[in-house]
Amino acid sequence: MSTTTQMLKGLLEGSLLALIAKGETYGYEMTEKLQEHNFAVVSEGSIYPVLMRLQKNNFVTSVLRKSPNGPKRKYYSITDEGLEELERFKEHWERLSSGVFSLLEERDEGNDEVI
Amino acid sequence: MGSFHYLKKGMRGMTRLSKEAERFIIELRMYLLSKGKNEKEMDEIIVELEDHLIQAETEGKSVKDVTGDSPREYMKSIGEELGFDARQFIILAPMSALLILAFLLFTPALWGDFTLSKVGLWGMGIATVLSFTLYGFLFVKVLPRFFHSKGFYLIAGLAYLLVFGIFIIVEILDKNPFFIATPMQNNLIVISCITIFIIWAIYAKSWITIIVPFFMSWGPIADRFIPAHINEDPVFITLTIFLFVTITVAVIYFIYRSSKRKEI
Repeated sequence: MSTTTQMLKGLLEGSLLALIAKGETYGYEMTEKLQEHNFAVVSEGSIYPVLMRLQKNNFVTSVLRKSPNGPKRKYYSITDEGLEELERFKEHWERLSSGVFSLLEERDEGNDEVI
Repeated sequence: MGSFHYLKKGMRGMTRLSKEAERFIIELRMYLLSKGKNEKEMDEIIVELEDHLIQAETEGKSVKDVTGDSPREYMKSIGEELGFDARQFIILAPMSALLILAFLLFTPALWGDFTLSKVGLWGMGIATVLSFTLYGFLFVKVLPRFFHSKGFYLIAGLAYLLVFGIFIIVEILDKNPFFIATPMQNNLIVISCITIFIIWAIYAKSWITIIVPFFMSWGPIADRFIPAHINEDPVFITLTIFLFVTITVAVIYFIYRSSKRKEI
């Protein structure tokens, strides 16, 4: 697995938690919302293995209900543990992104100096 | 047998999907089944993906938009998250072995000439492993592609003939038995086989393990209970073959029709 996909997986986990925290939702709706935010997902289906993991870790719960489409649809909602995890993710992300950002900036400046 | 049941189960609610999406779902189910995954978790993710695919396809997206470029890789990523169901596997593996054994022993015991020989034991063992590999390969890799064409029955039929042929060859080579069953032992074997068939039918909720042995038992039962002079009369032989063929065709037609109805 490439580093990009691995990184995406971790970010996807946090982003899906954030989406579910906004209110009960289901798979297809989540992919639509990700696209609205221009989140570069590898493929739509890649959210499902992540959702399974979130559920296994008790961060989300799900219910199967009939959908307007006919077949049953799985709706997700966040748990208290999920909310805590989301907070942790936010903190991590802020620290990480500011770190990476400042590092990249610095390197650019370094390059400028060489030139 | 079980796999057929699962294939049909996989068909429910799939009428709105394109053939490509349907094939993906069937392949996914076969893949997860072959990995011994928990059935309940498997059903859940399949329901979810079906729902997703239906919506994606109504918006003009393709299966690849959902699965990424490699559906195979995608199946693997799903499989990694699903639990291996040890209990299901522990029950299913020995039960399948018992069922195969029952099918192998049933007719010889019913004929009243159950024997064991070295060639027979090895041959049957190898033939069983071979047929497992062949059917496993067919169900996971080949048959999902032909699900809607007549080729499905052709391939399944050819595979059956091939496996049957191997068993026949073993039977022919089977000489010098080291164990010959007494009439009492033969009857005991028949009773145990019938018990296994019934348990399987209840477990799998399918008549197939009753229907198939029923047809297998025609010849031997007739041989046991019909006097020899009638048994060799060509008129009766013709009549029996005619009856047998008619009933077989009727049963196949009945099964075919009921499966059609379920799909709708």
